[in-house]
Amino acid sequence: MSILIQLLTAFLGSLGFALLFGVRKRHLLPAALGGMLSWGVYLAMDLWLGMNFLSCLAASVFAVGYAELMARVRKIPALLLTVPAIIPLVPGATLYYAMSEAVHGDLAQARAFGSQTLVSALAIAGGISFAIVFRELQTKR
Amino acid sequence: MTFTKSEQSDLLDCLLRLGDLLLDAGAEISRAEDTLSRMGAAYGAMRTDVFVITSMISMTMEFPNCEAVTETRRIRSDGQPDFYRLEKLNHLSRSCCAAPLPLQELHEALDGIAAGKKPFSAKLIGSVLAAGAFAVFFGGTVPDALVSAVFAVAICLLQERLSRTDVKPVGENLIISLLIGLGVGIVTALVGSLHMDMILIGDIMLLIPGLAMTNAVRNMLVGNTISGVVRLAESLMWAAALAGGIMVALTIVNYLH
Repeated sequence: MSILIQLLTAFLGSLGFALLFGVRKRHLLPAALGGMLSWGVYLAMDLWLGMNFLSCLAASVFAVGYAELMARVRKIPALLLTVPAIIPLVPGATLYYAMSEAVHGDLAQARAFGSQTLVSALAIAGGISFAIVFRELQTKR
Repeated sequence: MTFTKSEQSDLLDCLLRLGDLLLDAGAEISRAEDTLSRMGAAYGAMRTDVFVITSMISMTMEFPNCEAVTETRRIRSDGQPDFYRLEKLNHLSRSCCAAPLPLQELHEALDGIAAGKKPFSAKLIGSVLAAGAFAVFFGGTVPDALVSAVFAVAICLLQERLSRTDVKPVGENLIISLLIGLGVGIVTALVGSLHMDMILIGDIMLLIPGLAMTNAVRNMLVGNTISGVVRLAESLMWAAALAGGIMVALTIVNYLH
């Protein structure tokens, strides 16, 4: 049940971001699906390996790959689909808890949440780089 | 297609404007450079040199039997991406590279795109939906989502108001996160069953410079290191401002409890 709710809210959240950035109606569904699917990849990897970094990396590779592919099919800039697909992976919660623990004076907890935020951010960046290298290999001069 | 000297500089002007609009809409550096080079070639330049960083475009075109023409343009982007425009610009440059439009028509097409922004209603609905959805996504309840959505409207209105002042993105993030933090703190203090953390996380998602960071990494990876570093530094400053505002708000709320 909780998984279903997460997938549904990831879909709605990505849809919200796509709207917010001005993605046009006809591309909204693939944009929102991208967010939901990449969160699905994260959950599946997390269930299998239980490691935040690797799960986030895999989900980010998937998100960028999906966006590049769909953008090519629809002949639009990949950025339009990349951003909504990555949004559910953005570590908003851990960033908040890091700040909140720091304010409450629990620096050890703040540091733990802070490094979790950093690890997720690095994993997203790593995923983007994998996907970009793959694209560069595909393009012929 | 052959151009007189004044038409050449007119064309260059058009292309710089296209580049300016592209960057303002949130396009990556590589896309801007690539588009301008292709457009230059499509309009018959033997050689087109384009250098783009986040705050400037420099472009030189050489036409057969002519001196090279160069222009630079300072770019001031507000950091608010507009994919509605980006898609139209992409479409225009694609069709223009296939069959170059006459200069007058290119001017008009750019005017048309510059006049049409993404609708504010889409931004509003999108923010409300995103904040509400992410409040639940990170473990909140339905009432949390509703409160988060209400504050998302406040964020939109504040952003709209601040965009008419001279406040830069750092100041904007600081002010908005402080006000939202205080507002959510007060509402949750009054209604005990709400979760302050979930509500704030939903709203923070709207303020995190996720796109800027993603773009920064992309820029660096494809070799546009200067722009990547600049964007990364900028977005880290924005995130720091966001954290600063929220932390001050949390401290005040803590004190009031």
